[in-house]
Amino acid sequence: MAEELKTGAMSVFADIAWGQWISSGFLLLLGIVLASFAARSVSKVMAKRSSRHHTVMVRRLVFYIIFLLFGVAALREAGFSLDVVLGAAGILTVAIGFASQTSASNMISGLFLLVEKPFEIGDFIEVETIMGEVVGIDMLSVKLRTRDNLYVRIPNETLIKTPVVNRSRFPIRRIDLQVGIAYAEDAEKVEALLLELAEKNPACLEEPKAFVLVTAFGPSSVDLQFSFWVPKDKVLESKSGMLVAVKKTLDRAGIEIPFPHTSIYAGSHSEPFRVQLMAPEKVIEKEPLDVEKDS
Amino acid sequence: MDIETESRRDGVWAQPYELVTGQTQHHKLGHVRLWVTLLEKEWQVRTETREPETDPVGWTESIDHRLPPASESLKRFVREGSTSTVTFIPAVANLPTVIRPYHPLTIPGGMRCTIYVGTVVWMKICVGQNQTLLTEVPLAVPSLTWVGRNTMEGELCYASPNFGRLVLEAVPKRAWRAVTPVTIINRRTEPLLLERFSLPTPLLSLHQNDRGELWTPGVVVEVATDMNSASLHVDEGLLVAAGPCKKVAPAREKAAKGRLVRAIDRVFG
Repeated sequence: MAEELKTGAMSVFADIAWGQWISSGFLLLLGIVLASFAARSVSKVMAKRSSRHHTVMVRRLVFYIIFLLFGVAALREAGFSLDVVLGAAGILTVAIGFASQTSASNMISGLFLLVEKPFEIGDFIEVETIMGEVVGIDMLSVKLRTRDNLYVRIPNETLIKTPVVNRSRFPIRRIDLQVGIAYAEDAEKVEALLLELAEKNPACLEEPKAFVLVTAFGPSSVDLQFSFWVPKDKVLESKSGMLVAVKKTLDRAGIEIPFPHTSIYAGSHSEPFRVQLMAPEKVIEKEPLDVEKDS
Repeated sequence: MDIETESRRDGVWAQPYELVTGQTQHHKLGHVRLWVTLLEKEWQVRTETREPETDPVGWTESIDHRLPPASESLKRFVREGSTSTVTFIPAVANLPTVIRPYHPLTIPGGMRCTIYVGTVVWMKICVGQNQTLLTEVPLAVPSLTWVGRNTMEGELCYASPNFGRLVLEAVPKRAWRAVTPVTIINRRTEPLLLERFSLPTPLLSLHQNDRGELWTPGVVVEVATDMNSASLHVDEGLLVAAGPCKKVAPAREKAAKGRLVRAIDRVFG
């Protein structure tokens, strides 16, 4: 009995065409090596002449095509008939398709993203509440690096379904600042001061021109919108720098930026409010303005 | 703030200055104050940019043995071997410059005119015999502008408000600005209103005459039918008025055909 088993195992072992399997394994290995080599060479050549986005796309394409060719050759070498493999793959696809609807949807969405190209690698995009730089566009998802250096993976399906804001598509951007001034102040004087600030700031573009709009009579201030254009890579520092400059300029010109006030009206028929002083009145020194601290 | 100096001389472009270890060379030029210090193993460059009330004209240079105030922005560079010469090479702007006369100028149909425009130059600080570049500094803070059909297509340029002077003698000769004669030929019958004009500064080389002034070759713009079909070319020769000149810096970019076509496309914004 034991002898029979041993002979059976030996014959099974001897019947396997080891030579074919080894050569097909070798073909696969060679495929991986050659595909990586070709992909790397193509990416090196393209890096100087093309965008990072295209380089990555072509590098992947070259890798998969070469690997697929060697994979098919390896299957043939192992003795599989390609028709049978493809037939089996067809049946498998249906089965797998049902099982992995999400992945399939992401893959198809990925294809649409590649064709539509709403953003490229290196662009700064905003999806729902997430903002970040695109570091990878893959088969199933897009990878972002946020400003605080978090790695965020967004499924391709989400990018197809939701609005995507590309913040670095165009070379220049407009910054809108909301500035509130007290009702007693002269809006035209403030407008002139703000436009002068934009003119003096080297990051502000001369054209398209900066402008100031009075947008509303707010509850405690006259609301102005101060808009100016900057190069896309200077948005953050320009916004912050301009806010500081606006505060200093308005302080220097003695223009009040009011915080919300509430006036309480007791009505003509109601009793006046009873006011009671809890502590002796004393003069409180006002905190110096920013501009005075500097000088 | 001012440091006592040993001697105060006029600065010169493209002339090697010899420094001794421990010495600091101080320059006042344009809107910039610059200190170059040579130490045992390193070069130190400090710069300070201020916008003065009136534009300075000259360039003064002085040598000191004390380090400049620590508050200035400092850049350090490794000193190779015993290199002790520093050369200041002028360079044109790396982006086109939009010239906007304070008052638009009308060129009647069939007429031509030459306007003289001054553009800010950058100072390249180079050391050693091979003139190895350490850094470059704009001699006035350049402001930016956008030239294009809309906010999606176009290019960033430097902006240069200008008087659009038609008389060469009226152009102030400043060591930190290069003069470019721009000839505009209006071949149309209608007048041409010159509101702003994009000068392809990266394509211009710099030349210095014996008075120390910087000049670029002239630029000729010809408008035949409409604004968009204006043709532009850079003159090989220099204006006679510049006098005998020597080339001190090549153009930043070679006039590739594509580049020139783009420049032409946006000559008048």
